Amino acid sequence: MSLADRWSLRRAIDGDRLLLAAIGGGATLLLVVFVILPLWGILSYSLITPEGIGFGNYVRYFSDPRFVSIIGNTFEVSVSVTVATILLAYGFAYALERTRVPFKPLLRIAALLPIFSPSLVQALGLQFLLGRNGLINRTFGTELDIYGFWGIFFADLLYAFPHAFLILSTALAVGDQRLYESAQVLGASAWRTFRTVTLPATRYGLASAVFVVFTIVITDFGNPVVIGGNYSVLAVEIYNQVSGQANFSMGAVIGVLLLFPAALAVGAERWVSRHQHASIGAQSVPLTPRVNRRRDALWLAYCLAMAAALVAIVAVVVYASFVRLWPYDMSLSLRHYAFDVQNGITPLWTSIQVAFVTAGIAVVVVTLAAYANQQLSETWKRPLYFLSILPAAVPGMVLGLGYILAFNDPAHPVYAIYGGLAIIALCNVYHYHAQGFLLATTNMKQISRTFEEASSTLGASRLATLLRVILPIIWPSVLAIGAFFFMRAMVTLSAVIFLITPSTQLAAVSVLYLDDRGALNQAAAFAVCIMATVVGFLLLTQAVLRLAGVRNVSLIR
Amino acid sequence: MFLELRGVTKRFGGLTAVDHIDLDIEDGEFICFLGPSGCGKTTLLRLIAGLESLDEGAIRLRGSDLGQLPARKRNFGVVFQSYSLFPSMTVARNVAYGLVCRKWPRARIEPRVAALLDLVHLRGDAGKYPHELSGGMQQRVALARALAPEPEVLLLDEPLSALDAKVRESLRGEIRDLQKRLGITTVMVTHDQDEAMEMADRILVMNRGRIEQVGLAQDLYWRPTTRFVGEFIGRLNVLERERWQALLPELGGDPGRLFGIRPEHVRLVGAGEPSNGPVGEGTVRKVAFLGNMTRLILEAGPGVVEIEVHGPLRGAEVGERLRFTLPGEHLSPMAADPR
Repeated sequence: MSLADRWSLRRAIDGDRLLLAAIGGGATLLLVVFVILPLWGILSYSLITPEGIGFGNYVRYFSDPRFVSIIGNTFEVSVSVTVATILLAYGFAYALERTRVPFKPLLRIAALLPIFSPSLVQALGLQFLLGRNGLINRTFGTELDIYGFWGIFFADLLYAFPHAFLILSTALAVGDQRLYESAQVLGASAWRTFRTVTLPATRYGLASAVFVVFTIVITDFGNPVVIGGNYSVLAVEIYNQVSGQANFSMGAVIGVLLLFPAALAVGAERWVSRHQHASIGAQSVPLTPRVNRRRDALWLAYCLAMAAALVAIVAVVVYASFVRLWPYDMSLSLRHYAFDVQNGITPLWTSIQVAFVTAGIAVVVVTLAAYANQQLSETWKRPLYFLSILPAAVPGMVLGLGYILAFNDPAHPVYAIYGGLAIIALCNVYHYHAQGFLLATTNMKQISRTFEEASSTLGASRLATLLRVILPIIWPSVLAIGAFFFMRAMVTLSAVIFLITPSTQLAAVSVLYLDDRGALNQAAAFAVCIMATVVGFLLLTQAVLRLAGVRNVSLIR
Repeated sequence: MFLELRGVTKRFGGLTAVDHIDLDIEDGEFICFLGPSGCGKTTLLRLIAGLESLDEGAIRLRGSDLGQLPARKRNFGVVFQSYSLFPSMTVARNVAYGLVCRKWPRARIEPRVAALLDLVHLRGDAGKYPHELSGGMQQRVALARALAPEPEVLLLDEPLSALDAKVRESLRGEIRDLQKRLGITTVMVTHDQDEAMEMADRILVMNRGRIEQVGLAQDLYWRPTTRFVGEFIGRLNVLERERWQALLPELGGDPGRLFGIRPEHVRLVGAGEPSNGPVGEGTVRKVAFLGNMTRLILEAGPGVVEIEVHGPLRGAEVGERLRFTLPGEHLSPMAADPR
């Protein structure tokens, strides 16, 4: 090697390249450890049988009619909830974006309510409304039985509603007035205009919402475990096998089975969103719905009915938390907020601690992963991108079980933090990595490449550019990502249920245990505390952003 | 030579954006890269800045190879088309940015920033944020920021094209004055021929990644060597030798197959007026009155010819017949396109 070559080589390996390699490599390594290893753990464990490596567990599973019927139940409930949710949420989003119904801000808040609570709160609310001792049966002397398919159906419908609503209202929010005027001039009826203009323009949002709702429902654990009764689904069965019977290999088999449909739905959703292009050009005229009293009145009636259902569920939980002893003594009291049961109030503080740690780790990990993804060349970014998106396809129950199988081994380096808060926080970070990563990627895209180029021509290193130029621009969105993770960490139940120990009990899990023991009023009080914490944190973050003069950052996703 | 480009080549996939460019730039010179969008001029500038890596060739500054040296170590000032001021910093902090990165002591940074803001007449706006400034002011801050670390070369990437016409005109003069005063070697990329002609010492016309012609504005206008240059800079009648043989003056040797002549050089010959050289005749097809001049489209035997007449013009109506000559001293032989 000549002197000149060596000189140019030394210049090629400069600090900037090393830093990028370290960030990209570090992010990839963490994803391998905290996503791939657990998945590998599940997959390999499902193949271990007393007779050696093989598909024996799967054969055993599929020859048991009870297990096969669980698969049938899972799909029955997932498909029916998906269809119902999409129809109802499309109508709600349509009313809010395309008509002149009044009270839009209030209706919007009602639609988003379920996001602020753990998924079992809907089931809890349904119990209070329609359960054996529920308001309806008590008041009218009826004997409705909500436990089973219909319980899961309604609970998951309400739980998935805001997610579908958010996607669909984004799709319906943009429209080109010119197309609608053309349709009108050409003599198209309202229904025909809807079929030929509105529906095609929102087909990507619609497809995306279908896949997202399907994934949410098929992987949901909280609602079916509370209100499913004897109607078992895969996400609950995995818990029964592992926690109830310590049958890890059967748990692993169910995990793999649950992985497939979720992975397919997520893959389809990614495919759809890649093929989605802007249908609105620079010349488009924004759509402003006109007043139409009869239409607006009908839509308002529908929205009020829907909002009433959404609010009623939360309201009845709040109400029950103040009732002395449901349903025998309906006088009001604050005694359930004394939390004199089990670990008392400690799980709530643990949850808040975990949520802060989760948010803290997540903003760093996710922002750096998105940064590396933006800066790396095509070849290097591909594995990082794939690994970053992969967790979207991994149901929480599967990830949690994977953590047990992969890390509950004193020989494993990660075992050092096993059983503590850190592993729970990391599990949350990687459970929601895909959503956080996509949010961060969108933020990165909004920074013009010119800022970085200007900075480097002025002599700044990569690190200096990152700290002095990029961070000061994106910090509000980084804060929003932190709020997203905080919220999810407060309400999540599925992944962490396998990782808690008596000393690291979480609030959402406490609600489940209290409900399980029949302490419904305490469960409600705990759920109210979780919701209050989430809403309080969001308001606080919003206030910080407002004080800093930031207005265009949305905290609810 | 101050800045040397030798066989500079850049490919994007199958496309060769910059194709073996050789160029010498002198110390203190103002050179413009001119060409249509997609011709490779911006890529060439970015290669010089170190924002793109060379596939082939070499770029040397005072004889030493810049090779793979990253942009931040080159000490070249760059001004981008738009929105390159850091939105979270004040004007003063934007200008100081390069100095802070170079670890200048505070005591030297402050006077330097003040001096540069004086230079671009923005001293009073030091504490403002970019979004509080007009586009023209923002570009002046960007200029001050690029000049602050005393760069070896100033690189301007279409610095005026995002601005309003009025602001653009005044900034042209301001940048040129500043460049002369500081004596800094400057390369500017533009697609606007007026801008290039007004500001640059020399102009390099690019097309499809290659140099079409390098020279003074006058050279490019009066003696374009290719049809592309002639048509890109101003308007040009391109005449094929075989068809226009009868009207072309006697030319010795082999001056090529194509001739170009500017519309203002085609001379109208009044009825009965004597002329030296062959006279053509054509029918007026179009008359466009443009204020200080009138543009005529004449259909003559061998083809169409465009004529520009300054001052008042009488008797030119559509359908009339006019006589014209093609003065030999204004005809330039050109290479056909594509090469």
